[in-house]
Formats: sequence, C-alpha cells, structure tokens
Amino acid sequence: MLTRSRPISSEFLFFKTMTLFVFWVLLSASFDWIHLALGLACSFGVTWLNSGHSPFIPKFGLWLRIFLYLPWLFYKIVQSSLHLTKLILDPALPIEPQLISVESKLNHHAAIVLFGNSITLTPGTITAEVDHNKLIVHAIDNVSREDLESKQMESKIAEIFKDEKPDL
Amino acid sequence: MEILSIIFIVGGLFFLIVAAIGVIRLPDVFSRSHAVSLTDSLGAFLMLVGIALHDELGKNTLKILVVLALLYILNPVIAHATIRAAVRAGLKPWKKENS
Repeated sequence: MLTRSRPISSEFLFFKTMTLFVFWVLLSASFDWIHLALGLACSFGVTWLNSGHSPFIPKFGLWLRIFLYLPWLFYKIVQSSLHLTKLILDPALPIEPQLISVESKLNHHAAIVLFGNSITLTPGTITAEVDHNKLIVHAIDNVSREDLESKQMESKIAEIFKDEKPDL
Repeated sequence: MEILSIIFIVGGLFFLIVAAIGVIRLPDVFSRSHAVSLTDSLGAFLMLVGIALHDELGKNTLKILVVLALLYILNPVIAHATIRAAVRAGLKPWKKENS
C-alpha cells in the first residue's frame, strides 16, 4: 500500500464537497434552509475526514479525455453484449472459457484501474487478477480473446494518459 | 414517448431473460459471471432508460442517471471481486474435454 501525506488542496475540498452536496440535494429533495445547511455541513465533514487519503486532484484535460472515451467504451459494451447474447442462445453453446494473461504497457495506476474496469464492464471478458501491469483475464471465447489481444482498448487508454507522469 | 419507453423496457427485459438463461446454461462460475454482467450492461441500462423516458424530465430523471452511473462504476468491481475470489480459491475454468 502506498500512502502519501500531502497538504489538503482547496480545490479538492471544494469539488468533493460540492459533489456530495449535489448528491444530497438530489436525494433529500427538500429545499428549506435547515436541510440545505445540514447537507452542506455533512458534505464538508465527510470531505474533511477523507482528505488525508485521497490523491484526487482535479485535472480537467484528463477528465475530459476519459469522458470522451466513454462513448467508445459503450459501443464496445453493446457490441460484445450482442455477441454474448448470440453465444448464450446458440443451442450448441460454442464457448471456450480460458484464463489468459495480458501484459499491458500502461504505466499509471489510474490507467490500469480504468483498463481493468473496462475489461470487466465488457461482457465476455473479466479481469481476475491485477499485479502492477500484468492482468489475468477470463475470456469466454476466442472472439473476446482476440478482441482483447488486438490492444485497441489499451492504446485508447494509453492515449488518454499520455501526458501523465508514470507512477507504476 | 410512451411507445419509445415501452420499446426500451421490453428490450431490457429481453436481455435480462437472456442473462437468466445464460446463468442456467453456462457451466462454471467464470462463464456465469459473464452472463450476469450482461444484465448490468444492457439489461439494466435499457430498463432504466425506458423508465427515465416514461415520466417527464425532472428530478426523477436525474436520480435515474445517478443510479445508472453508480451501476456502471460498481458492477465491474463486484464482478472482479467474485472472479478474483474464485481464482484464489483455486477453481479452474471449465474445459470442453472434461465435461
């Protein structure tokens, strides 16, 4: 485990408090002063308690690129969902489950997390184990495996994180 | 709008049923969890979009979007935890030959 103590940035406090506060307003749905003030106090308190641990510092370029990556990811999810539906409904059940190990060139913690989550979110492939930049992935058939081995997703994520300082 | 939302909900139901069939038909925990992830990725998505379109835009639409975002963040984590536990417990993926 890697824990760094760092000064609490005011942006961090502001953004996290605001995120939690919006969530509070959304769920409580009452706009009188007592509820709003209580919500603001609670969000700030939670943020303060968590501020020592989280390395989150807002980087807008990065978040924008991740946001622009999501539609492509969704397209892949739909594509592989339809493929998996075809597999399940096929009377012969033509599956070939296998554990494969994938070594990625990503050198950033957040990039590996994004990569692993994207793999798991795509039906047909699930990340089973992560160790630095080596992932063990369970694939349900050869089509999903080849899709993974084409490195398309990895190069997209590498593109997102190309400006970041490597920390792996 | 009404018809569109019904189309979405029926589409979501189709994928939920396919996922249920998959959980029954597939042989082991690994491949079954693939079927379960089908539920989240398209089944729940289409259902929630259908429900969001059914009412007029407002607070509830926003709540449904938050549910959707949380679903897409949390489900891979749960699937990964299950599969990692299975791997660490020493389960081997099912193979065609030894069935």
